[in-house]
Parts: sequence; C-alpha cells; structure tokens
Amino acid sequence: MGSMRILALLAVLLALLIAVPPFLDLSWQNALVNVLIASLFALAFNLLAGQAGLLSFGHAAYFGIGAFAALHLMIAVEDGLAFPTPLLPLAGAAAGFLAGLVAGYFATMRSGVYFALVTLAIAELLHSLAPHLAGTFGGEAGISSMRMPWQGIVFGSMLEVYYLTLGWVMLCGLGLWAYTRTPFGRLTLALRDNEQRVLFLGYDAHRAKVVVFAISAMASGVAGSLLAISNETANYSLFATDVSAQVVLQTFVGGSTVFFGPVIGATLFTLFSFLISDLTRSWVFYQGLIFVLVMLFAPTGIGGILYELVRHRRQLDWSRLAWPALQSILGGLLLAGGIVYLTETAAVLFGQDYAMRRSGAAGALPPYELFGIGWEPAGVLTWLLPAVLLLGGGGLLVAGRRQIDGVRGRRSAPAADAAPLGGTP
Amino acid sequence: MEFAIVSTLNGVTYGLLLFMVSAGLTLIFGMMGVLNFAHASFYMLGAYVAYAVSSAFGFLAGLVVAPILVGIVGMLVERFLLPRVHAHGHAHELLLTFGLALIIEELIKLFFGDFPVNYQMPGDLRFSAFTIFGSDYPFYRLFIGGMAVVMFALLWLLLTRTRTGIVVRAAERLPAMAEALGHNIPVVFMAVFGTGAALAGLAGAVAGAFYPTNPNMGIELGVIVFVVVVVGGLGSLKGSLLASLLIGLFSSFAVGLDWSLAGLFGLVGLGDWARAIGGLMTLKLSSVSATIPFALMLLVLLVRPAGLMGERN
Repeated sequence: MGSMRILALLAVLLALLIAVPPFLDLSWQNALVNVLIASLFALAFNLLAGQAGLLSFGHAAYFGIGAFAALHLMIAVEDGLAFPTPLLPLAGAAAGFLAGLVAGYFATMRSGVYFALVTLAIAELLHSLAPHLAGTFGGEAGISSMRMPWQGIVFGSMLEVYYLTLGWVMLCGLGLWAYTRTPFGRLTLALRDNEQRVLFLGYDAHRAKVVVFAISAMASGVAGSLLAISNETANYSLFATDVSAQVVLQTFVGGSTVFFGPVIGATLFTLFSFLISDLTRSWVFYQGLIFVLVMLFAPTGIGGILYELVRHRRQLDWSRLAWPALQSILGGLLLAGGIVYLTETAAVLFGQDYAMRRSGAAGALPPYELFGIGWEPAGVLTWLLPAVLLLGGGGLLVAGRRQIDGVRGRRSAPAADAAPLGGTP
Repeated sequence: MEFAIVSTLNGVTYGLLLFMVSAGLTLIFGMMGVLNFAHASFYMLGAYVAYAVSSAFGFLAGLVVAPILVGIVGMLVERFLLPRVHAHGHAHELLLTFGLALIIEELIKLFFGDFPVNYQMPGDLRFSAFTIFGSDYPFYRLFIGGMAVVMFALLWLLLTRTRTGIVVRAAERLPAMAEALGHNIPVVFMAVFGTGAALAGLAGAVAGAFYPTNPNMGIELGVIVFVVVVVGGLGSLKGSLLASLLIGLFSSFAVGLDWSLAGLFGLVGLGDWARAIGGLMTLKLSSVSATIPFALMLLVLLVRPAGLMGERN
C-alpha cells in the first residue's frame, strides 16, 4: 500500500474521530478518550518492544510518572500559575523523558530477559514506594486537581477533554511514526536485529538504547498525563503490574511488527472492556486467552495478519480462498462461543451466589440462569451444547485451515515442526 | 537480642521458602534460557490444588498430589506450548509464559473466587517447636524450612552424584553434544521443567497452609522470586540459595527497624537538614521493607551484573 493511500486512510479516520463524538453520549466519549490514551501508550511501548526489541514489563512507571507530573502542574495552575491548560501534557512528557533517561540508563545495561526484569523491578520499586511518599504521590489516596479554564475554553465537558486528548494523541502518534523514518529510527530497528553490527559500525549502542528508552517513556508520560487530565486524579495504583501487563497484551495482540498494530489491540481491548465488563467478571481471563492464542497461532498479531493480507491481496486466489476462510471464521466463532459458555457456566456454578443457593437447596443442584435462559446443572443439554460447539467449531476450523494451506501451497504450521530447543530437528 | 534472634529465624525460614520456588526457576532458566513468568503461578496452583485435595483426603494427600499435578502441567506447557513459539525467540517464550500466568490466575479466581481460601495446616502440626523469650515459636515455620533444606540436599545430590545428574548438567552445557551421545535431550528438558514446576507446586502446598492462600499470592511472590534469581545469578542453584536467605533476612529485619536516611545523616550531624528535606529522607526502613528487594536487585545489576554466584552474563 502506497504511503498516499495510508495518508488518505488516516485522514478519513481523523475526520471520523473529529466529526462523530459530539453525537455520542458521555460514557462513549469517555470510552473514546480511554481508547486514545491506551493507543498512545501502546505505540510508545511498542517503540521499545517492537522496534528496538527491548521488552519492558514496567512501562506503567513512566505512564504513572507522567500522570503525577501533570497533576502537580495542574495543582500549581489552580493556585494561580499562568500556564495554558492544553499544554499540561508537556509536564508529563518532561517527567517521562527524565525518568526514562535515568531508568533507561540502568535498564539498557542489560538485554533480553534481564532487561525485562530490570524494568519490572523499577516499576515495582515505584509501586511499593509511592504510597509512603505522601508529598509526591499523595499516599494511598493519591492527589487530585481541577482543570482550569484557559482562553475561554472551560474544559468542563468531556467533549473538550476528548478533543484535547485527540490532538495530543495524533501529534505524538504521528511524531513517533515520523521518528521511525529518521536515520536514528532506522538505527533503532538495527539495534533489534543485530546489536553486534551496530557496535561494529561505530555506534554507541548503549547510548542509542537510552535515547530510545527515554523517547518511549516520554510518549508514555504524555499518555499518562492525558489520563490525569481526563480523570483529574491519580494514585499509586497507576504503577501496578496490571497497567504494565495491559499494554503488553494490547500491543502484542494488535501486532508489534506493524507500526499502527498496537493501536488495533488497544482499541479492541479498551472498547471490549467498556462494552462487556458489566456483563462478565471473566474479562481478564478472555484477554489472557486471546493473548496466548495470538502468541501461539499468529505471533505477528492482528495487525501483522491484516498487513500480510493487504500486501498479498493480488496474489491470493480469493475465489478459492473465500469458502474455507468463511468456514474457518465460522468454526472460530463456534469455538469461542463454546469457551465463553463454559467459562460463564463455571463462573456461575462456582460463584458465591450459587453456593448460597445450593446450601439452601439441601445438597441438590438448583437450576440457574445464564444468557437469559434457565439451565439444569445436571441436564443433558447443558453439557451437550458446549461439546457440540467445541467439537463442531474445532472441526470446522481445522478443516478450513487445512484447505487454506492447500490453496496457498504451504506446509501446515511450519513453526510447530521446528526443533523444540534449537537441537537437530 | 530478642528481636535479632526471632528476626533471624523468621528471615531464614522465609528465605528457604523463597529458595524452594526460585530453585526451579533458576534451573529452568540455566538450562533452556526460558524465563518462566508462570513459575510463581505454579506456586499458587500448588497451594490451591493442595487446598482442594486436602479438604477431601487430608493434608498429606494434598502435599503429595499438588507437586505431581503441577509438575504434569509444567511438562505439558514445555512439551506442547513452548516449542510452538520457540522459533520466534526468547521474547516470545517470555510473553507466552506471561499470558499463561494471567490465565492460571484468572482460572483460580473463576473456580475459587477472588478472595483468600481457608487452607490451614492440620491440627497435629500446629504446635510450638520451642519457647523463645516467653513466646512460642511455631513448629510449622521450621517444617517449611526443613522441607527446603531436604529439597536442596536431594537436588544437589541428584545433580552432582548421580548419572541422571551428569546427563542433566551435560544437557545444560552442550545440548547438541549430549544429544549426539545418544541422550534424549527433549525428554531431559521436559523432565527438568516438570521438576521445577513440581518444586514450586510443593512450595505452594507447604507455604499456603501457613501464609494466606489467595489469587494474588503468585504475583506477589513472583516478583520477589525474579529478584532472587537475578541477585543470585540466573542459572546458579547456590546463588539463588544465598540470595533467598539474603532477601528473607533483609525483609524480616527491615520490618522491625525504624532507621531512616535522616538518621544516617544524623550520625554526621546533618540530621536536621535531612529531616527538613523530608520525603525519601524521613522514610522509615520498616515502611519500605517491600521496596528493599528491588533496590537490592538494581544494586546487584550495577555492581555485579552476573549476580552473586552467576558465571555467565
């Protein structure tokens, strides 16, 4: 796809993002703000993980530092400092950059799993220290502030916050994209692919990594400060492992090999959690399952698959692929239905409410309600349905995949045939 | 004196528990280069399996079944999941185990609920080993420590004194050569992974009855275990024993000490200046005891990146 077409696509997307939100209700506007923030955070994370090949497990640290920096500046503005509210994320950027320089200096001394561990330790250090530093992080309750009006813009409505967020996310997202086009951006990719050669070419690999780390932390800081502006509050839980984990999940499900892949993951996960977190308590389980399945069967993520499809769209024989593809999708949906059914059934049967009702029913298994239908725990249909869904869906999926492989003339699943641990096959 | 002795005892037993979990992790890393994020989840899984089994068949049955079941889970992971992502490099293996850790934690929440379960040691183990400074010292703490010591001795004997140990060590150093000599290396790897997981499961089964058993126990201990393994030197069994004891002692002593940086500056007459700064300066050691392991890890990485006992960088 030519870069002109990418730009046209981006322009359409931007137009939609500008034109649609005024017609949405408040909760959707809020969800979109979260989507934008998660997208920027994932892009920043992927600069390090996908492009420099440095897998950080503690990016929550820079996200949180950005949020706290912005809040401190907001408090100062509230107390009369003349600082334009729309530029508040600059505080997050500066704090993230500085924290990234320091943390990056130590973390990038090591590579591979050691790097992941050091970043994890730094984030945990902050997470365990923050509640005790009441002055900076406000103890366990955290700190809060108010958005102050600036030049007639009140920043009272969610829509104004949304446009502010959109502006900053677009700016930083395009900035990060432009960065990958610079010579230093190419050097970042070289660090991932062959650090030895980078050294032999005369570059200071450590210094380059520190700079990449700091830039990634800076963009994370901007994302964090946008969250602080939208929520007007933050506490030490921003440094928690789940925040770091979320961005890892989103980035790799979205696809770390394609620049805008992480945005796909961030959008999907944030929207899904907005839509279904009221319906199920098992959302994190599904997230983990999706992540592991993507890792096992599609390591390039959703973005990687889309990219491959678009790139090969002329070589692919769509007339012969359409049917097996449809069959695989149907199989996948049935399989997903079976898994969701079993998970939700387990959630009900092992839940506290049901345990209480069982003790009320004197040992018998009372019927329960799920998806708006009543079920018998020992009924045949209750367990026949998931069995049919799983077996039928699995069968369709396997058959569909086999046909697709046949059409594309590819050996089935080459990764599975590889020697398990680098020995002889 | 009382504080020092009790803290030492508690620190050593906690350190030995840390060692039980980290031994498997460091063995697996040393051999395959896979840093298993799900390792602490195996520890949690062990505690929950032991809880489920012991509520029906008694404490001892739980102690036996938990490591076996967790070991089997570990072997399945090594045999069927890790090879699929191996071609994409160590980062993907790390990510896969990270996803597995999430799934195990959420499955536990699904079946046992997002709250601590009532997993208790049996009544006949609930007695005091001895009385020290007027208070009883629970026997079970010594039991945990004793298990770890026995385990270390067995592991060490197995690795250094038996034929199996020689094959395992050969497979660690030069897998291709060991395979050329006719040893079935994939099976060795699977067995080591399973053993490591089983050890973590055993640790969970033993410790879960003393410490709270809840869905967060894996994550909480997991990060500390990573610290142990890095401080000790990835792949070194002796190193991880040393680091476990060090961190166990550090955290048990820190809880009872109200030292602060301001106090340190006070020794050279700068106490008031430090107190005026506040923030980090006046933080008491007791309130940052959870922070110390991470600070120690960063220090080790700066001063001696290979870890205390690590040979390789």
